[in-house]
Amino acid sequence: MVYQPPVGAKDLFPLDVAQKRWIEERVQQVFHRWGYHRMITSTLERLDTLMAGGAVQRSTVIQLQDREEGELGLRPELTASIARAAATRMTGSSSPQRLYYNANVFRRAARGTFNRQQEFYQAGVELLGGGGVLADAEVLLLLADCIVSLGLQSWHLVLGEAGLTRSLLSAFPEDIRPQVREAIAHLDRLRLESLPLSPQLRERALLLLDLRGRPEDVIQQVSAMDLNDSQQQALSNLKSLVDLLQESFASPFETPPLLVLDLSLIQTFDYYTGIVFEVISGSGGERRVLGQGGRYDQLLGLYHPQRQTCPGIGFVLNIEELHQILLPTGQLPSQIPASDWLVVPTTPQAYAAAFAHARALQTKDSLLRVEMELGERSPDDVRKFAGDRRIKQIAWVRSAEDIVVETL
Amino acid sequence: MLTVALPKGSLLEDSIRTLKAVGLDFSAFLDPKNRQLEIWDTTHTAKALLVRNYDVPVYVEYGQAQLGIIGYDVLREKQPRVAHLVDLGFGRCRLSVAVKASSPYRSALDLPPHSRIASKFVNCAHEYFERLDLPVEIVPLYGSVELGPITGMSEAIVDLVATGKTLKENHLMEIEQLFESTARLIAHPLSYRLNQNGLKDVIEKIRHTVLAAAPQ
Repeated sequence: MVYQPPVGAKDLFPLDVAQKRWIEERVQQVFHRWGYHRMITSTLERLDTLMAGGAVQRSTVIQLQDREEGELGLRPELTASIARAAATRMTGSSSPQRLYYNANVFRRAARGTFNRQQEFYQAGVELLGGGGVLADAEVLLLLADCIVSLGLQSWHLVLGEAGLTRSLLSAFPEDIRPQVREAIAHLDRLRLESLPLSPQLRERALLLLDLRGRPEDVIQQVSAMDLNDSQQQALSNLKSLVDLLQESFASPFETPPLLVLDLSLIQTFDYYTGIVFEVISGSGGERRVLGQGGRYDQLLGLYHPQRQTCPGIGFVLNIEELHQILLPTGQLPSQIPASDWLVVPTTPQAYAAAFAHARALQTKDSLLRVEMELGERSPDDVRKFAGDRRIKQIAWVRSAEDIVVETL
Repeated sequence: MLTVALPKGSLLEDSIRTLKAVGLDFSAFLDPKNRQLEIWDTTHTAKALLVRNYDVPVYVEYGQAQLGIIGYDVLREKQPRVAHLVDLGFGRCRLSVAVKASSPYRSALDLPPHSRIASKFVNCAHEYFERLDLPVEIVPLYGSVELGPITGMSEAIVDLVATGKTLKENHLMEIEQLFESTARLIAHPLSYRLNQNGLKDVIEKIRHTVLAAAPQ
C-alpha cells in the first residue's frame, strides 16, 4: 500500500520552509515595528462562528462532525477567530488592540476544480478598537511597509469604500438591488444592461460599474453625483485618506504602489463597512492578489454577548502568492543553509569525545551549525559527502586530545 | 502588453474581423498554412492566443490573456470568474433540448423521470432539469451528441442549435430552448480594474464598433 497525501495537500521540504520563513520573518518584523502582537487561535472552530460574519460559505469550509460539539470546521481565515476571542476583551485601556497572526487556513476547492490547494498560509493583522481615517491609514501604510520589506519592485493598491458603494446602491429598488450589486461585484456589465431598470438607474449602475481610476478623477466623479449628508461625509473621509496616503507614499517609500480608487470593489455580502482593498502584483507575469483586507465595524458585535460592537480593520497577506511572485526575483534562498562543521569520530572509542567537541563548538557560537558523521564511511567518502553538502570544515576526532581540523 | 485569447472554430473569423475594426489585425490566424498558436498583430501592439473554445475563459480567468472572445454558452457552462463586457452579436445559436422526431415527447416535462440526457453541456443540462424538478441522468459526451437518441442510449440531448439543419438530418426535433447564445467579449477582472496598456480604450472601441454595426 502506498500512502498518498489527500488531494490538494502539500508537503513543504526544508528548502520550501526556508523560503516561506524568509517571507514570514520580513513581514513579522514589520508587524513588530508597528507595535502588533502575535495571537494564536484554534485551527478548529464551530461552523457557526466561522459563518457568523456572512463572508464564509458553508460549502467552502472543510467540515468535521463532533459528537458533542456538533458541526466544526477548519478555519478558512483568521478574522472570525480573532473577533470571537477578542470581542469581550475590548474594554477601556485594552483598546485599541494591535494583533497579528501567521497561520495555516483551509478551504475546500470549488466544484469542478481538480487538485486545487486546500491548505494555505496567511499572515495578517487586525487593528481592533480603532476607527477613522488614522486607523485606515495606519493599516494601509503597514501593508505598504510589508510589501516594500519584501523588495517587490512594482505593485498596485486597489482601494474601495464598501460603505459608500453600498449607500450609492440604495438608490436601486430593494427587489433588484441584490442583482445590481452582484453584477457590479462580478464586473458583469452584460447582466447589468439586461436588468429591468429605468434609463436613469441603468446609467447609474453602469457608472458604478466603472467608477475607478486615478483617485482624484474618481472623487471628482462621485462628488458630481447627488449625495446625501452621510455620503458626503464618507466621500470627504475617503478624500482625506487618499491625500494622507499619497503624501506618505511620496517621500520615504522606495517603491510606492500605483493607487487605484475603485468604488466597484464590493462583495455580495455585508461584511465590510468601510474601506476595502487589494494588493495586486505589478508588471510582468500573472497578476496575483497578494493580499486583501478592509474595515469591518459590525463584526465584533456579532461575537459579543451583549452585541456591543467596536470598530475593526485588518488585512491578510497570501504567503503562497508572495512566494510565487518572489521566486523568479532570486531574493529567496536557493539552498538550505549548509552546516559549518562535520565532526567525525574515527573510532568507536572516540564517540564521547566527538560529541563533546561538537558541543564545545555549539557552545562557543550558538549560530554555528555542527553535524555529526554517523556512518562507517571511508575518509575520502566523508570528504566527498562534506563537499556535496557545502560543509567547510571537518573535525577528525581520535580522542579528546587528538582532533585534526581539515578545511575544505 | 495586451493579449487576447481567440477561439478556434466557427467564432474565429468574426472575432478577427471585430478586432481588425479596432486596429488589431490577427488575420494571420486565418491563413490555412498558419501553425502558430501565438501571434502579434501587424502593428505589434497586441498578441493573440489561438486556443480551443473551452480554453478561452481559462486563459482569461488566470490572466494570461487580458481579453477573450467566447460564446455565452461556454460562459454559462463553465462559470469562469471573468468580466462580461460586450455582446458581440455574432455566433448566434441556442442551447436546446432535442428528442427523436418519432418520439412522443413534445416538451421537457413529457420526458419520463430518470431519462438519460446526453450533452456536452452537463452543468447547463443539470441546472435546467433541476429547476424543472425532473430527475434525469446526464450522460456527458464530447461530440456528435445527436447519436445519443439515435442509438437509443438517451431519450434526449441538450445541445447547441444554430440553423436546426443537423437536427433535421438526424431526424431529431427541438422541444425546448434553455437560452440564446452569442459571442461575448470577456476580460480578466484584475486587469480590467487596473486598466494598464490602454485596455479600457480597446474595450470601448469594440463596444462602439458593435453598437454602430447593430441593426437599429
